[in-house]
Amino acid sequence: MKFFKLSIFMLLMAAIVACSSEGENTDSDNQGSDEQDNQNTETQDITFWAPFSGPDGPKMKEIVDGYNESQADYNVDFQIVPQSDYYTNVDLAFNGEENMPDAMIMHGDQIFTYSEKGVLKNLNDLLGDETTDQYHETAIEGATVDGNLYGLPLDIHPLMLYWNKDLFEAAGLDPETPPTNREEFIEYAQQLTDPEQNQYGFAVPTLWPQQFIFPTIVAQNGGSLYEDGQVNFTSDAVVEALQFEKALIEEYEVSPKNVQQDGEVTLFLQGKSAMQLNGPWMMQQWEDAGMNYGVAPVPQLGTEQNAVFGNSHNFVIPEKTSDELTEGILDFLGYVRDNGMAWAESGQAPASKPVYTSDEFQEVNKQSPEVAKQFDYAVFNPKVENWGLATDPLMEAVNVALLGQASVEEALEEAQEKASNSLE
Amino acid sequence: MYNQKTTLKSKFTSFLFVVPYLFLFISFLFFPLLYGIYISFHDYNLLSQENPFIGLENYMEIFSFGSSLSDLFFEGLWKTIQFVIYSVPLLVIIGLGLALLLNSLPGKIRGLFRTIYFIPYAISVSVISILFLWILDTNSGLLNNFLMKLGISPIAWLTELPYAWISIVGATIWWTIGFNMIIFINALNEVPEELYEASSIDGAGAWSNFIHITLPSIRPIMLFVVITSTIASFNVYGQPYLMTRGGPGDSTEVLLMSIVDQAFNQRELGSASAMAILMALIMIVVSIIQFKISSPKKQGGN
Repeated sequence: MKFFKLSIFMLLMAAIVACSSEGENTDSDNQGSDEQDNQNTETQDITFWAPFSGPDGPKMKEIVDGYNESQADYNVDFQIVPQSDYYTNVDLAFNGEENMPDAMIMHGDQIFTYSEKGVLKNLNDLLGDETTDQYHETAIEGATVDGNLYGLPLDIHPLMLYWNKDLFEAAGLDPETPPTNREEFIEYAQQLTDPEQNQYGFAVPTLWPQQFIFPTIVAQNGGSLYEDGQVNFTSDAVVEALQFEKALIEEYEVSPKNVQQDGEVTLFLQGKSAMQLNGPWMMQQWEDAGMNYGVAPVPQLGTEQNAVFGNSHNFVIPEKTSDELTEGILDFLGYVRDNGMAWAESGQAPASKPVYTSDEFQEVNKQSPEVAKQFDYAVFNPKVENWGLATDPLMEAVNVALLGQASVEEALEEAQEKASNSLE
Repeated sequence: MYNQKTTLKSKFTSFLFVVPYLFLFISFLFFPLLYGIYISFHDYNLLSQENPFIGLENYMEIFSFGSSLSDLFFEGLWKTIQFVIYSVPLLVIIGLGLALLLNSLPGKIRGLFRTIYFIPYAISVSVISILFLWILDTNSGLLNNFLMKLGISPIAWLTELPYAWISIVGATIWWTIGFNMIIFINALNEVPEELYEASSIDGAGAWSNFIHITLPSIRPIMLFVVITSTIASFNVYGQPYLMTRGGPGDSTEVLLMSIVDQAFNQRELGSASAMAILMALIMIVVSIIQFKISSPKKQGGN
């Protein structure tokens, strides 16, 4: 028994020693190769992380390759970290300060949290107005916290309207003219609905992408989910938005009841739902399915103004990145700004003016110009730490209300209470 | 003296066989567990530079009823326990039933069906969930299509209670039943044939054979299956996460979903670790209780 214990102890020690010495080895290896690179070729490596594990990955790769070929000072090492655990990896990198990328992509709604922790470089100190003027101001605003710019925008991806042209034609509607306001939306949806055929004008999702749809209608109602440092889920604008969505199911009966996770996508793909509100990343799915679809800005479903909820991709630089590499990164970002057309090919709309104002951009595909049309009035998540703690209960309220399992007012009041508790 | 040496040597040889597993166990289970306990005593935010030691504060917050962390833990725990209660009896009974059924088949077909029932166990949870999302879709799924053809109105399998639980439990059974079945088949083959011969001479029927011979003989295996099924069910995550997203509302949001959210979306590793450690303690206690309840009887039987 004694022997057994001793062996375990020795094994543990061996494991610990092995692990730690391994770590040291790789560290010194890295340093060694870095130095060698400096001496021999004077090309410096810039590690760049992005969550583009979908069809957008190769497009970014194309841009990076283009940059690497265009000059010899820097070599951008583009690494795709899967979307599903992107921020876990980012957090772990920041936490251990190991394997830190020199630059990375960050969603607009994440910038606030990371900037509060002081782990991102303030770009105001590095860039002048003449650089920021090269991007759409909504995108710049989205990457700005308290007047400090923390990211250079790659794109804005707002909610979009998709429609099935074949179903529009069959219902006697013009397949090239999508609805632009609430009245038209309801009217078209009613014409497109045929319960006997199990066909609907618009399937109201009860889960994702309500995170985009619901804030869009709230903003179109002139409301906001966060005001004066407080969650604001029970204001008239918010209540009206949810009542409207519920009415599409229960009063106008243009949507099936009990739509499940991704159910609205299945129905749209099957040609059983004629319209779809979803993000621009869905284009590839409709293309792959060979659908005859149209894409346009979201109609004004709210009562007050045009608005659309969106998120954005931004380039950020960790605080730890050296000044020397930062120079290289800014050089790379300048290249992306002027040569980012490949990004539009994936159906996204780059936020840099040289790209989205060009004639080539208007022809790149049918979606990207429609995305860019919504730049002017796009809205983002409020800049609040842990906003996710507030949206979780809100989305549960939207879910139960749209499933007909709670009244709109009750559900939102409960969400208001839960959200204010957890944000405290 | 000579004897002692050989035992020492043979002990060492046996130990060498355990080494690879021991190494994996220590590096991937034991060390992370210790580290988890360590983290749970700290105010550990993934992005903070300082993570101060706060003793039992995370645990105390979980037990200060009314706090949002406490709600998160106990609401999640209740849903997990619901799932355990619904799934474990079915996993054991159906597993045993399938094993009995298969064992009464002729040899060649038995192998075929054993393979067929075991295959789903080898598929990943994401594939299982997508399959069931398509089968159960309220408005365009296979099952509701059949129901409508039969003139039955469609059922909201994943967005209404109790159907959401029925669907999750059903998918889990279809997915994992093969494992329990294989264990039971082996247990049934171990039951001495003489016992059945003796009882048939006494004129016992199939039912009393099952109650008086089969069940007592496989009791230890039964205990093993009950405990492993309970632990597996406690760890439920993928099926509700992928099939219902915790809905309708938060009624299928199980404890592990809350813990993962707390750890990686809110970045609060300290309180998330405390929740995970508590969950592990609960599982250990439940397993001990199950063991205590069933083991004295085994000795009595012998």
